[in-house]
Amino acid sequence: MRLNPIVKKDVRVQSRSIKISFGVFAYELILALVFFFAMYLIQQENMYLYDNIYSSLVALYPALALTQFMILGLIVPVRTASSISGERERQTFDIMMTTGMTPFSVVTGKVMTAIVQSMLFIAASLPIMALSFVVGGMSWSYLFWFFAVALLISFFSASIGILCSSLCKKSVSAVIMSYGFYLIFFIGTVLPPVFYRVYYFNIMYGNNFSGSRYSYGENIYLTFLLNPAVYLAEFFSEVMTGESLFDSFNGVSSSGMRGPVGLVTTGHNWIIVSTILFLAVSVLFLFLAARRIDPARGRMERRKAKKRA
Amino acid sequence: MLQIDHLYKNYGKFQAVKDLTLHVPEGDLFGFVGPNGAGKTTTIRMVCGLMRPTAGGIKINGMNALTKQKEIRKQIGYVPDFFGVYDNLKVKEYMDFYGSMYRMDSKEIERISGDLLELVNLSDKKEVFVDTLSRGMKQRLCVARALIHNPALLVLDEPNSGLDPRARVEMKELLLNLKSMGKTIVISSHILSELSEMCNSIGIMDNGSLVAAGTIEDVMESVFGNDQLIITLESGRETAVRIASEYAGVKVQSVGEHEIKLSHTMTKKEIAKMIGTMIAQDVVVTGFHKQEGNLETLFMRVTEGDAGSEGNACLKGGLENAVESDS
Repeated sequence: MRLNPIVKKDVRVQSRSIKISFGVFAYELILALVFFFAMYLIQQENMYLYDNIYSSLVALYPALALTQFMILGLIVPVRTASSISGERERQTFDIMMTTGMTPFSVVTGKVMTAIVQSMLFIAASLPIMALSFVVGGMSWSYLFWFFAVALLISFFSASIGILCSSLCKKSVSAVIMSYGFYLIFFIGTVLPPVFYRVYYFNIMYGNNFSGSRYSYGENIYLTFLLNPAVYLAEFFSEVMTGESLFDSFNGVSSSGMRGPVGLVTTGHNWIIVSTILFLAVSVLFLFLAARRIDPARGRMERRKAKKRA
Repeated sequence: MLQIDHLYKNYGKFQAVKDLTLHVPEGDLFGFVGPNGAGKTTTIRMVCGLMRPTAGGIKINGMNALTKQKEIRKQIGYVPDFFGVYDNLKVKEYMDFYGSMYRMDSKEIERISGDLLELVNLSDKKEVFVDTLSRGMKQRLCVARALIHNPALLVLDEPNSGLDPRARVEMKELLLNLKSMGKTIVISSHILSELSEMCNSIGIMDNGSLVAAGTIEDVMESVFGNDQLIITLESGRETAVRIASEYAGVKVQSVGEHEIKLSHTMTKKEIAKMIGTMIAQDVVVTGFHKQEGNLETLFMRVTEGDAGSEGNACLKGGLENAVESDS
């Protein structure tokens, strides 16, 4: 398989930069601090208990994993948001667009670079992460799931970053816009259920309540499928307890009807459906970014040009 | 090689390029001249596929540049007016990066980039980091980079801007070298003296329109009209003036102590005959030469705005003839 030239070049250039060494150092330092802080909290909690402290050390895994997910979620958009706009600022973008690379291969090259970099950070964190396995009594399969989710977060964050980078001329605006996108996913997906609950309770305790009209009201919670916080909460719940957070729904709405929420909350469906949705949104963002940087601007325009010719 | 037909580019109501029709034959070194904001860079960007025209067509090697972008990119090597380089990348890695963007294999890249770096006089800088090179070296490296996939057409936008005199001479030599190799080159520049030394044809743009195009000789003739002849002599001035006035289509413009300036429509044979007659009648002719306008004068004449509108009208007639003769 032929390696994308952009990945090869970017990885080479970045690996020669001192920034990457400082980045890995800062990453490990944060993880070490989180590890010691978590250990301290666990020890304090178990000081006057006669239970085995090792059962509490299981909590090290979600603490360290969540910290890494959060760091990745913060740094990946910064790196990718400056990728296309950075090429523009450096005035290398025009040259790139006159080469044999298609806009989509440019975009995927930039995303792959971000993922490779994330994997470098993850690999560098293994010694600290391993401590939670040594003292935490966790199965090694958890490490695989941790890698899988880190990969998904990197891909999703990178696709947001690259889309914003294609939309903005300046790297700074692209980074700000990326975090704006995060807000939409974190808060925007929570708002519809919140508004629905307010509306639902108003109706329920008002004069016009009619139970059957709101049987499928839980469908509104499907927006949570694209909420990264809910995804991570569900992931840790599944990994740590083997149960879904949405088991309380049990596939049945409050009015006794079985709706779409019920279908995706049965068993491990939620995490699977959510993963597929995140991947789909990421791919969509990549296509939009590629279209945006294409000087010919899409098939429609090319068809029009063909007609004119 | 490059055929542009009725090209337009509008930015809202502003027309950056208006009805541009141009033909650059294979092996030509074509100079694009024009004041700032004339539309040269816009045209070049449209040719390179970096911008979509509002209307019109561009063909490179007979292929439609607007619909066959992928194929066209393989045919073009582009050197922008200003470009950056990547930090922490060596010269050979820079060439390798761009070579692999054209899906060339590493052995091929190594061979070709070696030859190209030698051509641009950078073969001793292979292991040097690109960002440490001088501006002139970077510019030459960029030309080598643009040639890595052996394009049929090399497009350079103001390649000499910001270069010191030595780097300019080196760049000129490089382009002449490429021209001798048979490459078709389109170059835009403000340095007219260099263009006149390098290019065999030019196009002058003003306010988005092409006001003159063709071989330098054709354009000069269309602007300056009749040829001018200067005869230098030691004695027999009056006789020389009388003989010259006897020829049809000759007008004596000025008479100096040792020089007579004529405007004429004579053929070379007729000029030789006239000089021969003068010598036969004891006029001591020490020399004679054709007075030619230079590119600077031409450029000033063509782009002088409203004052030159009469000249421009005359040029457009000449331009139409040039385009017709090209096609």
